[in-house]
Amino acid sequence: MEWQEVLLKLIKNKISLFGIGIIIFFVIISISAPWLAPPADPDDPYMIPRAGWSIQPKPPSEDHIFGTSEGQYDIFYGIIWGARTAFRVGLIVVGISTLIGILIGTIAGFYGGVIDEILMRITDVFLSMPFLVAAIVLTTILGKGLDNVMIALVTFGWMGTARLMRSQVLEIKAEEFIQAAEALGANDIRIIMKHVILNTIFPVVINASMRMGSIVITASSLSFLGVGAPTGYADWGQMISFSRNWILGSQGNALQFWYTVLIPGLAITFFCLSWNLVGDAFRDILDPKLQN
Amino acid sequence: MKKKFGVLLLSFILVFSLASIVGAQEVKKEDTFTYVTIGNQNTLDPHFSYDTGSAEIIYNVYENLIAYQGETVTEFVPLLATEVPSEDNGLIKDDGTTYVFPIREGVEFSNGNPLTPEDVKYSILRGMINDRSGGPIWMLYEPLLGLGSLQGLVTEVIGEDVSPADLSAEQSAEVFAELEKVVEVDGNNVVFHLQEGPYPPFLNILAQGASWGSIIDKEWSIEQGAWDGSPETIADYYDPAKENDPLYAKMMGTGPFMLTEWVNGDHVYLKRNDNYWRKPANFKTVVFKNIDEFSTRKLLLQRGDADMVYVPNQFLSQVEEMDGVTVTKGIPAQQNLSGIMNWEIAIKGNDSVGSGQLDGKGIPSKFFADKDVRMGFINAFNFKAFIEDVRLGNAYQSGGPIVRPLLGTSPDQPVYHQDLEAAEEHFKKAFGGEVWEKGFQLTLLYNTGNTARQAACDILKTYVEGINPKFKIDVRGVQWSSFLDTLLQGKFTIGFIGWLGDFPDPHNWVTPYLASDGTFGGWKGEAYAEWATEHTDPLIAEGIKTVNPKDREEIYKELQTLALEEGTDLWMDQPTGHNVRRDWVKGWYPNAMRPGLDAYILDKK
Amino acid sequence: MMSYIARRLLILPVILFGVSLLVFSMLMLIGPYKRLSTYIKSPAELKTANLDTLVDKYGLNDPFYVQYSRWIKGVLQGDFGWSETAGQPVSKAILSRFPATLELALLALIPVIMGGINLGVFSAVHHNDPWDHITRVFSIVGWSIPTFVFGLVVLMIFYGVLGWFPPGRLSVWAEDIIRSGEFIQYTHLNVIDGLLNGNLRVVGDALRHLIAPVISISILWWAYILRITRSSMLETLRKDYIRTARSKGVKEKLVIKKHARKNALIPVVTVAGFMVLGLLGGLVITETIFGYQGLGKFFASAASQLDYAAVLGLALYFGFLLIIINLCVDVSYAIIDPRIRLE
Repeated sequence: MEWQEVLLKLIKNKISLFGIGIIIFFVIISISAPWLAPPADPDDPYMIPRAGWSIQPKPPSEDHIFGTSEGQYDIFYGIIWGARTAFRVGLIVVGISTLIGILIGTIAGFYGGVIDEILMRITDVFLSMPFLVAAIVLTTILGKGLDNVMIALVTFGWMGTARLMRSQVLEIKAEEFIQAAEALGANDIRIIMKHVILNTIFPVVINASMRMGSIVITASSLSFLGVGAPTGYADWGQMISFSRNWILGSQGNALQFWYTVLIPGLAITFFCLSWNLVGDAFRDILDPKLQN
Repeated sequence: MKKKFGVLLLSFILVFSLASIVGAQEVKKEDTFTYVTIGNQNTLDPHFSYDTGSAEIIYNVYENLIAYQGETVTEFVPLLATEVPSEDNGLIKDDGTTYVFPIREGVEFSNGNPLTPEDVKYSILRGMINDRSGGPIWMLYEPLLGLGSLQGLVTEVIGEDVSPADLSAEQSAEVFAELEKVVEVDGNNVVFHLQEGPYPPFLNILAQGASWGSIIDKEWSIEQGAWDGSPETIADYYDPAKENDPLYAKMMGTGPFMLTEWVNGDHVYLKRNDNYWRKPANFKTVVFKNIDEFSTRKLLLQRGDADMVYVPNQFLSQVEEMDGVTVTKGIPAQQNLSGIMNWEIAIKGNDSVGSGQLDGKGIPSKFFADKDVRMGFINAFNFKAFIEDVRLGNAYQSGGPIVRPLLGTSPDQPVYHQDLEAAEEHFKKAFGGEVWEKGFQLTLLYNTGNTARQAACDILKTYVEGINPKFKIDVRGVQWSSFLDTLLQGKFTIGFIGWLGDFPDPHNWVTPYLASDGTFGGWKGEAYAEWATEHTDPLIAEGIKTVNPKDREEIYKELQTLALEEGTDLWMDQPTGHNVRRDWVKGWYPNAMRPGLDAYILDKK
Repeated sequence: MMSYIARRLLILPVILFGVSLLVFSMLMLIGPYKRLSTYIKSPAELKTANLDTLVDKYGLNDPFYVQYSRWIKGVLQGDFGWSETAGQPVSKAILSRFPATLELALLALIPVIMGGINLGVFSAVHHNDPWDHITRVFSIVGWSIPTFVFGLVVLMIFYGVLGWFPPGRLSVWAEDIIRSGEFIQYTHLNVIDGLLNGNLRVVGDALRHLIAPVISISILWWAYILRITRSSMLETLRKDYIRTARSKGVKEKLVIKKHARKNALIPVVTVAGFMVLGLLGGLVITETIFGYQGLGKFFASAASQLDYAAVLGLALYFGFLLIIINLCVDVSYAIIDPRIRLE
């Protein structure tokens, strides 16, 4: 199937159109962040300004339209700049881990034999630790900070792609035109670049787009557990961890602090929802089993 | 078929859970007390324990010779002793160097073994031989021998370079002879001999709440594999690894409760000691449950599943309005928070000091050795906002290292105030004007999760940066491990850290902060050590040797004033304690030295 | 097939060795003095703690291979070291917490699989009509809500407002029963033990504590199972024998129930391994929020306190579980579907 055809189907599908709409909305927010929420310190725009030192969240008001969370961090500011953080984490982690996965999967699939065996066993080793847990261990060791979170997520996020790529390469390799090229003595890198990668990349890219949502959730889980973004950093997971101790409100007024959990909770849910909707539609379109 | 099974299963689950919901409402047992708190217990061995989590369990199972009376931290009542020694009753003798404790008769450990003076002697000596690294036993060595540790005694008796773990049998006996001089059984009395002169807070060190003063059963302890009572075996029992400590998870005390189960990090169950020498406790079962999530603890309290919970100060407002809940505030707890200023920062490989020079992009090593720099920072800090907004008013401002109500403090003591003009003046004078002209850049670290320390850093940053645009402060949260590491290596700039009192005496506060080799003072480099050797060390030494309370008070007042006026550190506040419990809990009263729950004094009827 | 199983079992120690090496090298990234923080919990301890002695005592400054071989020597003798977080030997700490996690995971599998499969079949039967869309969007929304948000909301509603499902594993009175002499702990799974002892109050109490975490796990995994079931169901529905059955006039309901459904379920089995892994990872958050004392909560606190013996032990344990589960899945897959041959 061609790119254009897939895109057309995606846009025609109401569900994925909705997803694409939300993604575009978040893109606009991220781009216009400096105008929507002007930073106090332009060198360090990701640190949410504090509107005071009191611990108790304050409800939405004219100055802070979404209210302030624990420690008087402005929720509106955090949401706006948090969108940038989400894109940054998602794109960088998915991008780099996919590249690593492609590299390892291609080498393993293309050369086979001992190389394949070794690479796949290494993949197995990395796969043997639950993703979130492995990320917690590595982030704790590296220390707080978004860069460290990304390093940890990349370190333990490439294996799925590598396996997918390997099986794709094995399929392609069996086909005649590759064997012909090999017989003609074309060099490995050329064959890999020209025939293998071009013919196998499509499912991998789709796989990557579908991982955006879960990567962002994992990154924010780390922040929620207190090993992710630095305190005060514009990150949705962190904003939810600010709400953790207030979610139940006071007696008789269970919803007193609704804004501290609902607003960042909705932001992160919609962000992941949009990618998952698009990914789901993608899969439907490309699932050979579903072709009529 | 499958569907039917599924429906069956679901309805089964539903019926049972509904049944148990109905059943659960009636279970508010009068004979069970549930306390929900945070953290865990490091150990259950009273001589190993140096954390409140452990001390609180030990408090309910083991007993000491004496206890604090009611809410006070200076008056005592007898416990396993029948009288509190004093000059008046003649049980403190020889100018305060001999303490006589008549031991109570008819008391039994919960295994039925009778308490004897021999047990008391064994307890003290076992602690001193055990002396684990980083443990609390220095509090026995300091008054009794004027030393810091068993290592110190071995160095004195045998010579340098010998570790207590390497003592031969003869050497061990030689060291033991010195140890044995400090505690002696005389009929039904146990007599302590303070070898190096008087030590006014000695009774505090032995009072209930101090787990290192707990009395353990000699026979039982030896059976478990603790020190065998022989003079020749010190090497085998010195500084055990926690996992090899025989009393790590076992308890046998004379107290009102006995240990039934301990799952570290989750819960401790105690049951009533029906054979207790006083009236048996009101509860059959006492549960200490550890739940780190505040919301969960709050719900347990709200629903009455917990009788008492730990509430961090910042969340007090969430429980104050709750129906059926009593909150007691303003307990003068023995704790404080201060900003330790590093007089001589280790520059090498340190990313907290920028360039390491006074060039506007960093700070030099002895930045905080300049009094004007220190006073600049101090005057810029907004103490009022910190106490009112961060502590929500539940704190006293400190007037130096000593906390209230100890000697040397008073409710109207002088304290710091924010004065931005004065701060500017000081910064202009600092380093002959260079600081003002060139500016500086430094990093403040706090350990993550500690919101008060973070707020302190943020407040300092906001106001200092506001004084001169060339002043630049980064605030960074790091994990406890990294935080500790920078403190130990002297790489911090201003380190916000608190001290928790070991015993209620000013000596325990001036030493860590002001002595040249104090726990905190020792981190501040040579520049501070020089100053302290001349100014504070002699006063600290004099304070602990003086018996007359009036004279002592003058000495500690002087130290307090010295610390405040010299601005050795950023003296911040003493957060007050509080207690949150259901209304049906009767009999509770505060005591600042009690490590946590005292289930014996409580009742739910 | 036997040779396949043997080969996989042979590779097990290799993988476990790799996992231990990986975790160990990560832990060695931090300096010896930083790792001391595991042993020093408050500033007061610094007064008498000699740091260099402590570093020596625990051998923190030894070269990598010395520390690693010391550890592996212990492991070969069955000693996984001491967990500072649990205050227990690592193996004991893991074994004592495993039943809790197992019970939670097993109970969660019932609604996850039953709900997920039924939703998937439902969605496939209604392919491309509004019901299909609604079911799918519903499950994708569930997949998109972070567990920590959802878990806190569940706790708020079902405990805070309604008071039905408290956090933890058992109420105090039920713990009392369990620890009493009359109650025999056959499996350490409270629900099963309760049934075996005929104590229905304990069963009810255990279920009451399990329901909230189970709900928050289920919601997350429905989307996943739904998708696989739906896709394979759609494929099966187009198969010849289904068409034949339909053309013979067999009722649509019966076609789905008797023929399509069974065959569509085979691929679901294949993802079980992945699911178990995800479940174990997800339990870190779920157990933390609900104060449920299992392996997930233990792993989270061990990791954040750099309790290296526990982290290593848990990593090995999870790796071991995973490989065994995957093996079982492969074998049962081959048994269910004779067309599959294990290479």
